[in-house]
Amino acid sequence: MRYLIGRLLWALLILVGTTAITFAIVFLVPGDPARVVAGPRADAATIASIRRELALDLPVPVQYGRYVARLVRGDLGRSYATREPVAEILARRLPSTALLAATGLGIAIVIGLAGGLVTAPLAGTWVDRAALVSSLALLSAPVFWLGMLALYYVGYRWRLLPLGGAGDVRHLVLPALVLGSGTGVYYARLLHTNLVGVLGADYVRAARARGASELRVVAVHALRNASLPLLTVIGLDFAALLNGVVLTETVFHWPGLGRLAFDAVLSLDVPVIMGTVLLSAFLVVASNLAIDLLYRVVDPRIRLG
Amino acid sequence: MRGARSLLRLGLAMGAFLVLVAVIGPTVAPYDPAAPVAPQLAEPLPPAAPFYLGTDDLGRDVLSRLLYGARISLLVGVVAMAVTMVIGTAIGLGAGYFGGGVDVVLMRITDVMLAFPGLLLAVALVAVLRPSVWTIFVVIGLVSWTGVARVIRSEVLSLRERDFVLAARALGARHGRILRRHVLVNVVPTILVIAALSTSGTILLDAGLSFLGIGVPPPTSTWGRMIQEATAYYRVAPWLMLFPGAAVLYAVLTFNFIAYGLAGDGRAPGA
Amino acid sequence: MRTTATVVAAATRHAALLLLAVLLGGCTQDRLEWPTREPGSRRGGVLRLAAGDDVPTLDPALGYDTRSWFFEQHLFETLVAYDERAALVPALAERWELSADGRRYRFTLRPQAVFSDGTPLTATDAVGSIERVLEPRTRSQGAEYFRGIVGAPAFVDGSAAHVAGLRAPEPAVVEIELAEPDPLFLHKLALLFAAVVPAERARRLGDDFTTQPIGSGPFVLREWRRSERIVLARNPRYHDSERPYLDGIVEQLGVNPELSWLMFESGELDVTSIPPADFPAVMRDPARAALTIHATALETMFVGLNCEMPPLDDRRVRQALNYAVNKADVITLLNGRGVEAHGIVPPNMPGYHVELAGYPYDPQKARALLAEAGHADGFATEIWIQGTDTDMKIAQKLQQDLIKVGVQLAIKSVAWASFLEAIRQPKTVPVFDLGWSADFPDPSNFLDVLFHSGGANNHPFYSNPAVDRLLEQARTVLDETARFRIDAEAERQIVDDAPIIFLYHPITYVMHDPRVHDYVIHPFLPARVTDVWTDPE
Repeated sequence: MRYLIGRLLWALLILVGTTAITFAIVFLVPGDPARVVAGPRADAATIASIRRELALDLPVPVQYGRYVARLVRGDLGRSYATREPVAEILARRLPSTALLAATGLGIAIVIGLAGGLVTAPLAGTWVDRAALVSSLALLSAPVFWLGMLALYYVGYRWRLLPLGGAGDVRHLVLPALVLGSGTGVYYARLLHTNLVGVLGADYVRAARARGASELRVVAVHALRNASLPLLTVIGLDFAALLNGVVLTETVFHWPGLGRLAFDAVLSLDVPVIMGTVLLSAFLVVASNLAIDLLYRVVDPRIRLG
Repeated sequence: MRGARSLLRLGLAMGAFLVLVAVIGPTVAPYDPAAPVAPQLAEPLPPAAPFYLGTDDLGRDVLSRLLYGARISLLVGVVAMAVTMVIGTAIGLGAGYFGGGVDVVLMRITDVMLAFPGLLLAVALVAVLRPSVWTIFVVIGLVSWTGVARVIRSEVLSLRERDFVLAARALGARHGRILRRHVLVNVVPTILVIAALSTSGTILLDAGLSFLGIGVPPPTSTWGRMIQEATAYYRVAPWLMLFPGAAVLYAVLTFNFIAYGLAGDGRAPGA
Repeated sequence: MRTTATVVAAATRHAALLLLAVLLGGCTQDRLEWPTREPGSRRGGVLRLAAGDDVPTLDPALGYDTRSWFFEQHLFETLVAYDERAALVPALAERWELSADGRRYRFTLRPQAVFSDGTPLTATDAVGSIERVLEPRTRSQGAEYFRGIVGAPAFVDGSAAHVAGLRAPEPAVVEIELAEPDPLFLHKLALLFAAVVPAERARRLGDDFTTQPIGSGPFVLREWRRSERIVLARNPRYHDSERPYLDGIVEQLGVNPELSWLMFESGELDVTSIPPADFPAVMRDPARAALTIHATALETMFVGLNCEMPPLDDRRVRQALNYAVNKADVITLLNGRGVEAHGIVPPNMPGYHVELAGYPYDPQKARALLAEAGHADGFATEIWIQGTDTDMKIAQKLQQDLIKVGVQLAIKSVAWASFLEAIRQPKTVPVFDLGWSADFPDPSNFLDVLFHSGGANNHPFYSNPAVDRLLEQARTVLDETARFRIDAEAERQIVDDAPIIFLYHPITYVMHDPRVHDYVIHPFLPARVTDVWTDPE
C-alpha cells in the first residue's frame, strides 16, 4: 500500500516535471504564438492586442503558473488555431489513437506469442533460422515505408482495403497491421529466446517425466516464466508505440493524436501541445504503473521498490 | 553457436559493402544528384537506360541520389549512435555502479525522458535548433539514450556484486579504477551489441524525421527524404519510393544482423 | 493459484471487450436524408466535396483562410459583395450613398431581411457585427480594416462603449463615418469580417458561436462533426426563392488529396483538385480535360530578397537573381499551372493595366550583372521555406538554377510559426519563399502592403522614398483610373528595384463530375455554389 502511494506521488511529480519542461521548450522555439494566431497579414497593433488577450506578454513562469492553476480546475484551455476546448479535441482524437495503438499492440502480442511458441521447439533448425532472418527483415523496414507499400498494393492496385482515413474496421486493418507487425516479430524473438532457455530447465523436464502433455508443458510451465520479461518489454514499448503511431497516422491519414501533436508543435499551438504531452506522459506513467502492479500479481515473489 | 556466427558474418559482410558504397558511391555515381538530368521535368521516368533506377519529378537521377544518400545516412546513423551510446553508457554506468541516491535520481530523469513522446521532442528540438546535420545528430541522440541506459545499468548492477569487484573495493581501489579496469571491460560485449542495435534504431529514426520533413535539408539526398518526396507519386511512379526504402531496409538489416549475431543464439539483444 | 496463463487470458478477454466497445461506439457515417426531387426541376441534389483539414472556424470575425471563408460565405451575407467579374454589387444593402466629402456612407438594408431562424436582421446587427470585430476580446484578425471608422480607437482601448462612427438611425439604415476618405472602404465591407451576424447571439455565445452559427446566407449549418464531415443545408428563409438549387453541401474532412482524387474517380465526390502526379494524364485525355475548370488566381508567388543584407542590398545582384531563374521551368514543374509573373500585381486585376517586361531567363546577363557588382565568383546564401511539397520543389529548382551563375543557395526548412517570426526580424532571413493573395481586387492590396516602407508585410525590408510618395499619393485619389495610373508608375519602379524574384501567378484547377453544372472558380474568393445545379440521379 505504501508502495502504491509512493509510486502515485512519483507519477504526479513526473507529470509536473514533464509539463514544466515542455512549457520551457515551447517558449524556446523561435516563434511568437501571438503572431501565429494573428496570422501572416496582421499588423503590429492586432498582434499586440492578441498578445495581451492571450496573456502572452507576461513572463514565462507566470504563464506557467496560470496554466497549472487552470489545469487543477480541469481547464486545459482552448486551441489557438480553432478555439475548440483542448479537452474536447483530445477526447475526440484519443479513441482513434487508442484504437490504433491497442489493435497494433494486440496484433503484436498475437504475433509474438504465436511466433515464439511455434519457433521455440524448432530451435536450431533451418526453419528457425529462416524465421529469424525474415523477422529481422520486417523489423528493419521503416514503418512508414511498409505503410506506403501496403497502401499501394492492397489499397490501390488490388482495391482490397480503403486508402487511408478512418471509418469502419476496414480502415483499421492496414495501419494496425503495419504498426504491430514490427513489434510483433520482436516479441516473437524475445519469447523464443526465453522459451528455449526455459524448455531445457529441470522443472520442465520433471513435468515431462510426470507425463504432462507437451502442450501443457509449454503453455503452463514454460510460458509463465518466459513471459515475465515480455511484460517488461511491453510496458517499455508503450512509449515507443506512441512514436510509431505518429508516423503511421501520417501515412494512413488516421485522425489521431499523433498527427495532432505534430501539427501543433509546428504551429506553436501551445494549449494543444501542452495537452497532448500531458496526456501522453500520463499514459506512459499509468501503463508503467499498471505493468509493475501486474508483476506483483503475477509473481508475488518479486520484491518491488 | 554456429547460427549466430554466420549471422554475424553476414552482417559484417553487408556492412562492409555498405561502407564501400558510402565511400566510393559519390565517385561512381553517373550524375550529379541535385541536377536536373532527365529530358523532361514534372514527370518521373521509369527505370531504363541511362537512368537505371529512373528519375524523379525534378528530373534527378534516382541511382545517383541513392549512392550519395548512402554516405549521409550511414554518417548520421553512426554519429547519432555515438551520441546515444556516450550519454546512455555514462548514465547507465553511473546509476548501476554508484547505486543509492545517484541511481534513484538518474533513473527518475530517465523516467521523465521516457514519458516524453520522443518524436515530438525531436520535432520541437529541431524547431529550436534549426535544421542541419549537426542538429540531427544531437536530437536523435537525445531522444534515444534511455534504452541504452537501462540495459547498461542492469548489466552493471549484476556485475557490481561479483567477487572481483567486491575484492577490488575491499583492497581500497578508487571508483574510477574499478570502473575502468573491472566494470567497463566486462560491459564491453553488451556495449557492442547495443551499439549495433542502436545504429539500426538511429538510421530508422533519421529516416522517420526526414519523412516527416524535419531531417537533413536538401540538396543532401537522404533516403528518408527521398521516400517523403515519393509519397505524392506512389501511384504513377512507385519506383521512387521502392528503391530508397529498400536501401534503408538494407542498412538497418545489416546492423540488426550484427547485433543479433553478437548476442548469440539468435537471442534478442537486451533481453 | 493464478498462473500467468490465466492472467494473460483474462487480460486478453478484457482487452477484447474494450476493443469491441470502442469499435462499436466509434465513428460510423450516418446516412443523411434529403428531400425527394421534383422531376424537371433544377432544385435538388447534394454537392459532395472533400478536404484534408478540418474547417478552422465558421465565425466570420475569426476566419482568415479560404477554408473558413468557403463556408462562411454560404452561411452569412455582407452589406456589399462581388459578382463574377469582381465588381461590387449590393448584397444585404440594396443601395448606398456616399457623402460629398467621401467620409459618410449610408446603407439601406434589404426590406424584411431575416436570419435563418426567423429573427429580423436589423441595422443594429450590422453595427454590432463590426463592433465585434473591433473588440479586443474577439481577437479578430480583421480589426485593422475597420480602425479607420470614427471612434474606433476609443472603442478598442476601452474608453468608449460603442463606436461613434457606426450608427443605426433606423432599423434598416446603417451609417458609417470614416475619419478620412477611403476609396477601398467598400471592399473592406465585402470582406467576410464584415458579415452580418445576430449581434446579441454572437456576443452571448462568444467562442461557441463558431459551432452554432446563424446567418442570412443561402445555407445553414446542418451538422459539423469535427474532423469527420460538415454538412450545410438550404436556408428555407433565404431571400432568393429560386436559388440555391442545391439541397445541401456535404464535405468530408480528413481526406488527403490522393484519397480525394481516388474517391472522385470512383464517383464518390463531385469536385476535386487534381494531384500533380495525375495531372499530365488527365490533360492528355480530351474527355477528362473537358471536365476541368481553371482560373488564374489573384495571387503572386515570389521569393523575397532582404534588401538590407549584403550582397542583396545591391540592386544589380537582385536583378541578376531574377535573370538567373528559369521561370518557365518552374511552371513546368507545377504541371503548367501558373502564369509567369512580370510584376507583382496579377494580370487579371480588374481595371488595372501596366506594361512590364519583367525579367526573362538570361543567365549570361545574370553573370554580367553579378560581375559588375563585384561578385564574379558568385556568393553563398540561404533560402528559408515552410517545408510544404511545392515550396521544397521550387527551392530545389532555384538551387539548380542559381548554381549555374555561381550562387550557392542552401535550403532551410522551418516550421510555419518560426518562419513567420523570422522573416519579420531585420537582417535575419536573406532569401525566403512566400506568396501573397489578394483580399480584395485592388493594386494597393499588393503594392502598399508588400512594398511601402511601413507596410505590414514588407518582409524584404524594401524602402524607396519615391515609391512611398507615389503610393501615399494614390491613396488619396478617389477616381479609379487616375489612381491606377499612379499605382502603375510605382509598380514599374518596384520591378526595376527587384526587391523580390517575381515567379508566377498560380492557376487553380479543379475537376468536376459531369452531373454538376455551373461550378465556377473565383480569382480571389472561394467558390460560391449558389448557382450550381446537378442532374437528377
